[in-house]
Amino acid sequence: MLNLKGLAAGICVATALVSSAAASETVVWWDFLSGGDGVRMKQMIQDFNKEHEGQITIDATTLEWGVPFYSKVQTSAAVGEAPDIMTYHASRIPLAVEQGILTEVTSADWQQMGLGKNDYADATWDAVTIDGKQYAVPLDTHPVVLYYNKDILGKAGLLTENGVPKGMDSRDGFTATLQALKAAGVKYPLGSVTADGNFMFRTIYSLMGQQDGVLMSGDEFLAGDNAEKLQNALAVLQDWTNEGLQSTYTDYPATVALFTSGEAAMMINGVWEVPTMTDAHAKGKLFEWGAVELPVIFDHPSTYADSHTFAIPANKGKEMSKARHDAVLEVMSWISRNSLFWATAGHIPAYGPVTNSAEYKAMEPNATYSSLTANMIFDPKSPKAGIAGPIFDVMSSYFVPTLNGEMEPAKAVEEIKYELNDL
Amino acid sequence: MAVLLILPFVAIYGLVFIYPTIKMFILSFTDAPLIGAGDWVGLENYERLPRDRRFHTALWNTFYFVALTVIPGTLVALVISLGINRLKGRLQSLVLALFFLPYILPVSVVYLIWDWTLNFQFGIAMHLFDWAGADRIPVFKSTAWFMPAVGFVTIWWTAGFSILLFLAGRRAIPEEIYEAASLDNSGSWSTFSRVTWPLMWPVTALVSTIQLILQLKIFDQVYLFSQGGRPNDNLVLVYYVFQRAFQSNQGGRAAAVAVVLFVIVIVVSVLNFQLTRLSGGRRK
Amino acid sequence: MNPTRIHRINMAGLAITLITVIAAVLWAFPLYWGVVSSLKPEDEVVRPYVELWPQTLTFSHYVHALTQTQIGIWYLNSVATAVGVTFVTVASSLFCGYAISQLEFPFRRALWWLILASFMVPIQTLIINHFELIAGMGLLNSWTGIILPQLIHPVVIIVYKQFFDNVPKDFREAAVMDNASEWRILTRIYIPMNWGVTTALSIVTFIWAWNSFLWPFLAVTKTEMMTITVGITQVSDAFGVYYARELSAAVLAGLPVALAYLVFQRKVTQAITLSAGIKG
Repeated sequence: MLNLKGLAAGICVATALVSSAAASETVVWWDFLSGGDGVRMKQMIQDFNKEHEGQITIDATTLEWGVPFYSKVQTSAAVGEAPDIMTYHASRIPLAVEQGILTEVTSADWQQMGLGKNDYADATWDAVTIDGKQYAVPLDTHPVVLYYNKDILGKAGLLTENGVPKGMDSRDGFTATLQALKAAGVKYPLGSVTADGNFMFRTIYSLMGQQDGVLMSGDEFLAGDNAEKLQNALAVLQDWTNEGLQSTYTDYPATVALFTSGEAAMMINGVWEVPTMTDAHAKGKLFEWGAVELPVIFDHPSTYADSHTFAIPANKGKEMSKARHDAVLEVMSWISRNSLFWATAGHIPAYGPVTNSAEYKAMEPNATYSSLTANMIFDPKSPKAGIAGPIFDVMSSYFVPTLNGEMEPAKAVEEIKYELNDL
Repeated sequence: MAVLLILPFVAIYGLVFIYPTIKMFILSFTDAPLIGAGDWVGLENYERLPRDRRFHTALWNTFYFVALTVIPGTLVALVISLGINRLKGRLQSLVLALFFLPYILPVSVVYLIWDWTLNFQFGIAMHLFDWAGADRIPVFKSTAWFMPAVGFVTIWWTAGFSILLFLAGRRAIPEEIYEAASLDNSGSWSTFSRVTWPLMWPVTALVSTIQLILQLKIFDQVYLFSQGGRPNDNLVLVYYVFQRAFQSNQGGRAAAVAVVLFVIVIVVSVLNFQLTRLSGGRRK
Repeated sequence: MNPTRIHRINMAGLAITLITVIAAVLWAFPLYWGVVSSLKPEDEVVRPYVELWPQTLTFSHYVHALTQTQIGIWYLNSVATAVGVTFVTVASSLFCGYAISQLEFPFRRALWWLILASFMVPIQTLIINHFELIAGMGLLNSWTGIILPQLIHPVVIIVYKQFFDNVPKDFREAAVMDNASEWRILTRIYIPMNWGVTTALSIVTFIWAWNSFLWPFLAVTKTEMMTITVGITQVSDAFGVYYARELSAAVLAGLPVALAYLVFQRKVTQAITLSAGIKG
């Protein structure tokens, strides 16, 4: 399906370096990728192992995403039981560096991998850089998008001639679309992960970004009118709940299930669910669907994104051998170069030569939502930020009650502000 | 000889019980991370607790959970055991097996089954709400319902154990007493209140004591059911110890919470022991 | 007693019996529902209506769980650690219980009081220091590391002591007359006379160890060392819809103990009541 060989050209150098080591190296790998994108990654690992038979074998494990994954990494590194390589969210790198659980990727390493600053967008390179040193190899950028059921929206007359939902340019417009769906008898016009505050951070932060709101100004959280912008974002979502326009108390798997079973007409979710839809559709088990950039609810388009990266844990009291280190570098290099396949998992590869290729530019549905790359915002670069980090932890506690109508947005913002500044 | 016989036990006890207990107290006065040394900070970790919102949540939820499970759980088991006691032969074994089965299942299995049964969108229990014309309740996602729901599941899970104890207690009551009662023309309620309940009292006290000490140490169910939801609203003390130590990497602060729970359990156990002894003595 | 009264009592009795049986069926219904759901395709389990039996019966989730996950290794880890905990706990408690019951040695009373007191101590509060200890010994991710902190079950030693106390002194005196060694007295008299107790205590210890979650959850970071209780909740698929698949893993995890219970129902019942200090 994809021409991987063409991209693999530069690998020979690195492979030659590795094969100079006599014995076969086993690289212990941890990731948290387990949906449709996990299936893609397993495929890539298999391909890697096949191509490196007798030299390197990846021994991969998939752990539970979020708090469980990062707690395990933290305690494992402290007792020398961490893996050789792991996937890591770029947003969490400042915290990890502060905790001393990541090994620096030195300029010699970059050279050996045949990768470097020029292969990545500035923001991506900056995300893995702390005090001028790099701590991870970027793999992708993964924003959230709006998934929609073309069959349902089409029947309700809510698609434009381009086949995208109507009313994507304003709060009123989008709410009208949701109301029309409700009137057409759709149980949940919008599927939202309203039971999981960690997840909702993405949507809410995007809506803050649409008003140019920021979380941190210097060391202060939600300074000035930023608190109000957060409140606006929460208020929109709570209104949708109050009007019965979105699913309430819905956890992650249930949200996906509501959308794929046709009970929810639209869904805000990460691009990593693209392969779930593609695969189900290919099997004839899914309706016609699409994915577009989030609607503009406030002033201008803005979408929250994070990056998956590869990092090498700093195992306490356990130095990694040269041969193992070389093998790990080969893994990171190979996967980066072959990340065109990773794009089929919905993600936007970080490696420039891949995203600049004609094949990538023609890929669907990625091409439809790729416009959003111009409007992406990232977590504040702080040891308090990141998936399952302290900011996530505080904010998520108040998102769930607010989004489900248990708590007033103003009250939630007040509590969040107090707790964040108390960190 | 005696030394040889007690040696394995004493060695194990010293290593995994006495030593860690002493270390826990020492750790609670330091600012150490989970692994590694820290500085002595005196009572600082304890002084933080009264102002610590999460500690309040954890403390409150722990006692709330105890209230929701201990007495209700004991009564449910008592009623079920009396029902089973009336049955005979194969039917009795079968019914007992149905009630007892959950107890031997691992907590993860109990979690997966109930998380599915009570799933807000797809759970079969929600169809009961629909059918009754009531609004569905997101039991594991709303703070108001979380603890009662976990308490309910816990009773379902552990009742088998208490039922067995009650059955044994009921069988220990000589049948002559019941024959005498029926000759007295005593009704079922008065038989229960004058014969069964007083004679079952020691078992009831035993069951509720075991439950009380067990439920103060609640962690597994609360942790599992709050995954993907709102753990910070559902904290219990052991969970908070885990969160501080293993998620925030604050060994010292975690140890201070652990010491508080340690003291609570011991105080409650001693009080409970005294109370049951007193009330048991009076009834004799 | 007049006939109407007997009639009324019988009616009431029948009603109670009926209610008990119905309650039992409802009680076990979630178990049935879990099994049935695991036999449906994923798109069938999320249908918005109730189907008590699968429209399309499928074992694909079981095939997936058995071939695509490490459930086999988790079984092995669970069995190995539960057997380890049971064997060490019961053996060390038996010896110590015997010594406390039958022999004189310094600090005997102190040791006994310590054991009674430890009955009240919440082991869960020691997780931080257990973790530090086991990590320091380099035993995380090992069977020994999972087993060690689970060896504190004072109830086992307490029950043993009570039973040994009740063995008539005549046996002991006769054996001492015969110049039998302490070891011989223990292995030829006290252990054989209390086989039932040993079986019962082994059964309950095994159930506790098999079901333990918190410590194995903390002590293991590698999936190939997880026990089944930890594995099926920590290595699931976070993204996507896999309700039926998760339930099939749950059924596989629960089935062996459930079957063992149904076969040895009477033994388990005795074991439980005994462990609470009631001689059933």
